[in-house]
Amino acid sequence: MEAVLSVRDTKMDGKMESVLSIKDLNVVFSGFKALSGVSLDVYDGEIVTIIGPNGAGKSTLLDAIVSKSPVFSGHIYYQGKDITNNSPHDIARMGIGRKFQNPNVYNELSVFDNILLALKGTHGIWASITAKLTKEKKGKIFDVLSRTGLVDQAFELVSSLSHGQKQWVEIAMVLAQDPSIVLLDEPTAGMTADETYMTGEIIKSISKSHSVVVIEHDMEFVKQIAERIVVLHQGQVLAEGSVEEVQSNPKVIEVYLGHETIKATA
Amino acid sequence: MANAVMGYKQSSFPTKLAAISGIALLIFIILPFVFGDFQLSLMSKLLLFGSLGISLDLVWGFTGILSFAHGVFFTLGGYASAYYLKLNLSAASNTYGGELPDFMVWNGLETLPWFIAPLKYFPIALVATVAVPALFAYILGYFIFRSKVSGVYITIITLAISSALTTFFVSQQAYTGGTNGITDVSKLSFLGSPIPPIGLYFLILAFTVFVLALSWWLTQSNLGLILRSINENEKRIAFLGYDVAQFKIFIWTLSAALAGMAGGLFVPLNQFISPVYLAVAFGTQVVIWVAIGGRGTLVGPLLAAILLGQVQNYAEKVTQDWQLVIGILLLVVVLFIPNGLMSLLPKQLSLANLSKPKLLKTPDAVKN
Ligand SMILES: Nc1ncnc2c1ncn2[C@@H]1O[C@H](COP(=O)(O)OP(=O)(O)OP(=O)(O)O)[C@@H](O)[C@H]1O
Ligand SMILES: [Mg+2]
Repeated sequence: MEAVLSVRDTKMDGKMESVLSIKDLNVVFSGFKALSGVSLDVYDGEIVTIIGPNGAGKSTLLDAIVSKSPVFSGHIYYQGKDITNNSPHDIARMGIGRKFQNPNVYNELSVFDNILLALKGTHGIWASITAKLTKEKKGKIFDVLSRTGLVDQAFELVSSLSHGQKQWVEIAMVLAQDPSIVLLDEPTAGMTADETYMTGEIIKSISKSHSVVVIEHDMEFVKQIAERIVVLHQGQVLAEGSVEEVQSNPKVIEVYLGHETIKATA
Repeated sequence: MANAVMGYKQSSFPTKLAAISGIALLIFIILPFVFGDFQLSLMSKLLLFGSLGISLDLVWGFTGILSFAHGVFFTLGGYASAYYLKLNLSAASNTYGGELPDFMVWNGLETLPWFIAPLKYFPIALVATVAVPALFAYILGYFIFRSKVSGVYITIITLAISSALTTFFVSQQAYTGGTNGITDVSKLSFLGSPIPPIGLYFLILAFTVFVLALSWWLTQSNLGLILRSINENEKRIAFLGYDVAQFKIFIWTLSAALAGMAGGLFVPLNQFISPVYLAVAFGTQVVIWVAIGGRGTLVGPLLAAILLGQVQNYAEKVTQDWQLVIGILLLVVVLFIPNGLMSLLPKQLSLANLSKPKLLKTPDAVKN
């Protein structure tokens, strides 16, 4: 019942429907409120960028969505369905893909195998035993590898790659999952300026067919990709809006951007 | 781009691997004709121990679950088989005549317990050697893997299971034969005549080939890739849509079924089963075969079981302190060859490498 109502609530001007809807979310770690009362909607095909100081709860928000951290109270709706505290594999199968803050990839497997593992499809036991590496699957794998510039590394072990390349491997894995929503936690950390720019372009191309939520620190990068920005601070949404709106918001300047400027000039 | 896709070779049974396996199999087929009786039965036993090692390799080497309970699964299969052979003793060769096994008579039982009686029939006994350990493992695995227990705690649980079952089987003398176990069983017969030792050897060899082939087939499929991923980082793969517990329960149960079958074949060979094989010491042996042979190599544990068994056999003849010899040998291997004997083979030759799921380096295919 509640779920149905919430879908109606989240319709924007009665036209757009949110793919992901977060309502009054609280995440508590042994008494410490990492998220308190966070509400957020993600609409079809948009890029939402989350910024905020260290420890603001950005990663925790993604953790709650994919059920890595338990939700204390509040709800998460995906395509109108309440998925709060569902099991991680169910959430992944429904179409939510996640890239972690530190590249969370399989170092002892080849790049190709990492992608093969992530490939959308059946996840059952018998299916995995009898799965054939069809031309179609190979095509799909090389497609995501070429989108992330990893074709030449396809048969290298991931452990032999640079940090930036590992980030791309994980982005490629998320792409191979073909989720409706792509959650990216600091995808450009450890990348050179050129690599960062390329990642921005990849994200823009992803957003043509997926909704994207990106956590980022690099304001240059945020400007490159951002459509809508959400600022988190001490587990709460501090501000929300376009790049200009957020940049001119005095509260945001005080807690975050001012601090960034100091860092940049230092 | 299209070429890269086309040029990617699908993993198939590599010719080199086929050649090596063929030669190895041929050697094992010829060996019994060279061996005396003692070596024939020793090698039969070591093949079974090797198969047990392979079954543990599936859960430990591939999936990363260190278990000391594989001796338990082996022994459960062994008891099922021992009841069958005991109940099929002719009345004449039964100590007290009649149907009731001697140890039950000694312990004051007057009728055959209902849960043992059906094991007199071959099809039921055959199913039981697989089903009893598998069901036991399934229930155990369900609770272990569906709960949040992980890592070293699972290993501790397997140790506890091993100790608890040893105590239980020793205490239930009337039903299990207590410390002595089930002895003086009949010979396994085929079409009314007892199978000779060489027949038993070939039966066991066929079983070993089956275990090896099945494990190879499973681990070179996507399942192998998933198991290796669970081993490296089980948390990550859940976020790709895999139900990790389901995969663990599956491989754990399958592994126990294979271990149980090995135990089932062990009794016709060994002519008895006892709680010795339930105990932690035997479970540790299985772990040692896998560690010495090389985790995740399948062939390694088989080789290690055979080599260690043979070394022990000769050391026993030369010195009373053979256990010391074995102990030092283990220490040397663990210290200097931490990845096991298989890691000494040239990379291209190792089964682990040849069977590594889909990891085929075909740089030419990519360059085009
Ligand atoms: N699993 C956890 N257990 C306990 N505390 C946690 C856990 N995850 C996060 N926290 C705490 O919650 C707060 C928010 O952490 P979070 O990782 O979400 O911050 P963040 O905004 O992603 O910061 P950063 O920019 O450094 O990545 C921190 O104080 C952190 O220590
Ligand atoms: Mg973070």
